[in-house]
Amino acid sequence: MFKWLKSFACPKELAAAGVLGMNRRNFDVISKYNKRCLYPLVDDKVKTKELANKVGINTPGLIGKIEYQHEAKNILDIIKGRSEFVIKPAQGSGGKGVLVIKDYHDEIFVTASGRELSYNEVYQHISNILSGLYSLGGKYDTAIIEELVHFSNIFKDYSYQGVPDVRVIVYKGFPAMAMTRLPTKASGGRANLHQGAIGVGLDISTGKALHGVCRDVPISVQPDTGADLMKIEVPFWREHLIIGALAYEMTGLGYLGADIVLDANRGPMMLELNARPGLAIQIANGIGLKNRLQEIDNTYPSGLTAEQRVDFVLQKRAK
Amino acid sequence: MLKQIFSVRKILSIFLLLSIAYAVYCIYYKVEYWGFHFAPRQNADVWSIEAHISFDPTGEPIKVSLTTPRDNDAFKILEENVIAEGYRIRKNKASSRLILSSEAKSEPQNIYYKIQLFDNIDTRGKVRASAPEEPQAPVFDEQKMAAAKQLLQLAQKQEGDTVSQIIRLLNEEPLQPAVQSYLPVKLNQQIMVEIITDLLAIKKIPSRTARGFRLQESKKSLTPDLMIEAYIDGLWKIYDIKTGKKGLPDNFILFQRGGQSLIDVEGGENSVIRFSVLKSITSSMKLAGKRAKISDQEQLYEYSIYNLPLAQQNTLKWLSIFPLAILIIVLMRNVVGLQTMGTFTPMLLAMSLVKTGFVAGMLCFAIIMTLGLSIRFVMSKFNLLLVPRISAVVIFVILIMQSLTIVGYKFDFNIAQSAVFFPIIIMAWIIERASITWEEDGALNAGREIFFSMIVAIATYFVISNEYIRHIMFAFNELNLVILFLVMLLGTYTGYRLMELKRFRPLVKK
Ligand SMILES: Nc1ncnc2c1ncn2[C@@H]1O[C@H](COP(=O)(O)OP(=O)(O)O)[C@@H](O)[C@H]1O
Ligand SMILES: [Mg+2]
Repeated sequence: MFKWLKSFACPKELAAAGVLGMNRRNFDVISKYNKRCLYPLVDDKVKTKELANKVGINTPGLIGKIEYQHEAKNILDIIKGRSEFVIKPAQGSGGKGVLVIKDYHDEIFVTASGRELSYNEVYQHISNILSGLYSLGGKYDTAIIEELVHFSNIFKDYSYQGVPDVRVIVYKGFPAMAMTRLPTKASGGRANLHQGAIGVGLDISTGKALHGVCRDVPISVQPDTGADLMKIEVPFWREHLIIGALAYEMTGLGYLGADIVLDANRGPMMLELNARPGLAIQIANGIGLKNRLQEIDNTYPSGLTAEQRVDFVLQKRAK
Repeated sequence: MLKQIFSVRKILSIFLLLSIAYAVYCIYYKVEYWGFHFAPRQNADVWSIEAHISFDPTGEPIKVSLTTPRDNDAFKILEENVIAEGYRIRKNKASSRLILSSEAKSEPQNIYYKIQLFDNIDTRGKVRASAPEEPQAPVFDEQKMAAAKQLLQLAQKQEGDTVSQIIRLLNEEPLQPAVQSYLPVKLNQQIMVEIITDLLAIKKIPSRTARGFRLQESKKSLTPDLMIEAYIDGLWKIYDIKTGKKGLPDNFILFQRGGQSLIDVEGGENSVIRFSVLKSITSSMKLAGKRAKISDQEQLYEYSIYNLPLAQQNTLKWLSIFPLAILIIVLMRNVVGLQTMGTFTPMLLAMSLVKTGFVAGMLCFAIIMTLGLSIRFVMSKFNLLLVPRISAVVIFVILIMQSLTIVGYKFDFNIAQSAVFFPIIIMAWIIERASITWEEDGALNAGREIFFSMIVAIATYFVISNEYIRHIMFAFNELNLVILFLVMLLGTYTGYRLMELKRFRPLVKK
């Protein structure tokens, strides 16, 4: 009984550690700095992609999109001549409905996990996407077909299948906190923490590992590969941060999470943006977010360009 | 930024305080003037009186006239019913007599008159009445008048007030010779009342007869007892004609006042009237309306829930517990931090549990969920589109409920029959969501969501199924206003959720 109680922190202790709670995030941050009307920009991946292209953020190329049920049969035309691509819902979340096809030939689709799907199954999957199975509230959705990201080998030892990504929390345009999310066997190769992926907090000025967490429990070794998570150092760190900073310019969201993957050939690429990024990043960093946000509120300059903001953060934090 | 939150919170706090003040005032008012209680089933006496009139027709047109109670201060008529086949029924308001008439009949006649009265104990003897006319002194010959005056003289030695003294004198054991010679040999209640009335009239005290029933559990049919009421100091006071005691005895219900005959039958003979009396206990809520009228607080009452027909009241009673359930949901989600399937699903589950009973409901829920989920897993192999798939689940849920009910009935297994109370669509969605969460996020997340949903549902169930809480939320429904502002104020709660204290525990610096 007593032991059980001990697994709870006292609210004062959390406040002292500068932890941002869900209620405060919703009330003090999101409802203040993220205007409702901006949400569609990030909730719809097609729109996000178009915007990103305008401001010069790298994203996986759009091969095609399917909006209506009768277009579903066009899928074979859309992917003609390609052997790899990704089919996903435009308004999905949590990795739901993402179909990564590594090898396609003669109407046989091989997924990232090695499963072979027939044309019928893929057609069915697209139908499911269109009927809103994976979108919030079951709204009709659009299926996106986009280029596969050839993720860089750098993370190979740290993740089990899937694509590890980097999440940068951007507050008022300043990168505030970052982590990398590593798929595990338990997460089914998906990079979502609540599905069991590992989160490793990254030093915002260097991109070096700080702390690991899996299912809200601290961790320092990747359970599937045995790799030492603390050795992670994300290359092209400045480029990662610049994508985050530009996302602010692009959407106007004061508080956002940018999901960035590292392509072996094309460098960091933005996969998606999130207007309500989760709070687990604090555990991955071992640091509360509230103090960080307050610091940005109180001491960071305004009127800088995206690059200037990134450099400001890199310098400030490096000290 | 901080300033703004503070002011929103401040405004809401002020509203909350105002609503609390308002609720407190309303509660005071309802308790004081309408006689509401905090505990449910606070009992009030309701008397059901049934008069059974039977007679043999003589072959002439029939006219039956029965004296009936008048709705007045001391008691209120809640229901009045006449069962008399083939009779024209009329009520003479002025004399408060029920008049039944019909053509000549041949078979023996039975007429039933049923009435429910609420005995308003609180107002007994408190209601002022306008003064009646001064009574005429009885027309006695000299000798009788002298004897009467002598009795009045003698009475003064008895205990109590004038009326009590006279009654006591007439009932003394043994009787004084003067009294004995004054009273007729054949004495019954009616004659006794007349004698007392005459004596009081000589003293210029207005009086009248009152008829009522003394409740006796053992006796099925009763004859009415007579009492006498005297007008003293602006109030009608009632006296027992045997003991001279002032006030209504316990378990006595007044049926009628004034001295008319109880029943007159024309065109019939051998008429018999039998009364049966039942004292039942009703919640004070039902009587609130009557009470409000007695307390002269009608205006307000007319616009309150309690003036509605009973069926509507029941619906509203059910509704008035919702805000509390919603408050629990808000607390569980925003203060405790439990992730549930759908915001209000647990509340709907809790409502079903109230209808089915806890154990039966939980069992049924478990059966429906298990069967539904297994079917849903088989179905996920078919790769159906969303709308047809969820529709199929709905139909499956209906089929499960039907079979449960039929099987339950067949084997007299009551628990299974409660299946029908679960909201079908909600159940289907729970099954659908659970299976999708299961597939996407693993059994752990699905199990946790179901588990948390059940915890919230059970907590809600225990609150809304509590008799006291239900009663209070309905009787003092302005509390819902307090809940409204409480919920809004919770919308500005930016503190940690209980679950976060555990989740973010690793961040605490040692
Ligand atoms: N173009 C792509 N190439 C390779 N993997 C991808 C691609 N798009 C998505 N994924 C995989 O799917 C996961 C979820 O995709 P994402 O676009 O973030 O959708 P969601 O909004 O559902 O999280 C990613 O973390 C990645 O593992
Ligand atoms: Mg994602």
